[in-house]
Amino acid sequence: MKRGILAVAALLCAASLFGQQGPAEGKWWKRPRIAAELQLSADQTAALEKIFARSRPKIIDLKADLEKKQFEYQQALEDERADRQIVAAKIEAREEARARLQKELALMELDMREVLHPDQRERLMRMREAWRQVLQERRRRLREGNLNEEAPPPKKKR
Amino acid sequence: MDDLRERHLTDAELFGLAVPAAGDPEALPGHLSQCQACSRALSEWKNAVQTLAEEDLGALGRRSPEQWRAAEDSTMEAIRRAGRPRRAAHPIRWIVGIAAALLIVALAMPARKSAPAAGAVKSDDTTFSAADRADDALLRDAAFLAQGGDTGTDSIAEDSL
Repeated sequence: MKRGILAVAALLCAASLFGQQGPAEGKWWKRPRIAAELQLSADQTAALEKIFARSRPKIIDLKADLEKKQFEYQQALEDERADRQIVAAKIEAREEARARLQKELALMELDMREVLHPDQRERLMRMREAWRQVLQERRRRLREGNLNEEAPPPKKKR
Repeated sequence: MDDLRERHLTDAELFGLAVPAAGDPEALPGHLSQCQACSRALSEWKNAVQTLAEEDLGALGRRSPEQWRAAEDSTMEAIRRAGRPRRAAHPIRWIVGIAAALLIVALAMPARKSAPAAGAVKSDDTTFSAADRADDALLRDAAFLAQGGDTGTDSIAEDSL
């Protein structure tokens, strides 16, 4: 029960962060709907791609490191003879790996933001806010068990 | 041709028979000899065409010598006018012309500005390659893990895009 509550809390936390974090949308600059909404030029798309290409190797390494640390933590936790200090160390190592990945993604996002014009940034923020609302609504309906119910359209902030 | 025997002629076919393109009457379809309705329709078409031709000819035939001379004079005057050098345009006309050109440019600017973006979107649509998909999944997974997720891919992107 406690784990279930924690899982829901983690999902909600992730959902709220999606509204602010770019990489949650993947290569958003390559998605037709987003590119059209932002009116990205070919130069901007190329610049965004370049920034991603620069960060890509680091992201691959940091993600792999985090997954490894996560696996080590789970192994330690599942061990019946698990030492409290060892588990604590594994948690610290995992969270450090997570922080390094977060930092890399955030810095990449920061660089990408520089490529966009102020109005494009604002539009992207609005889109993310709208998606966040949709996601929250989906989560709510999932919790309430009526996923097939039609969701209200996200509020427009124009 | 057999098809024409079985069905009524269309207006276009009747017109083609009444006013043959080369000036010579075309061979009449066999249907006309059997179908009174089409035969009547063709004769109506022919009458209509003939009446129009007679009206044109009649108007010309009824012209008096004075009218012919007046028509000739007006034609010659038109030819002379066309040969004359034009008067220098009034400065206001230039200003109006320039203003109109500037207005057209100003109106066309936003359209030009958005045109490359539309093109870029189209190319994006076609250039979302396998490598892009892999990178896309990498980014979403990395973001999910960075935000505290532990397994799998759970992104808004798949649903919203």
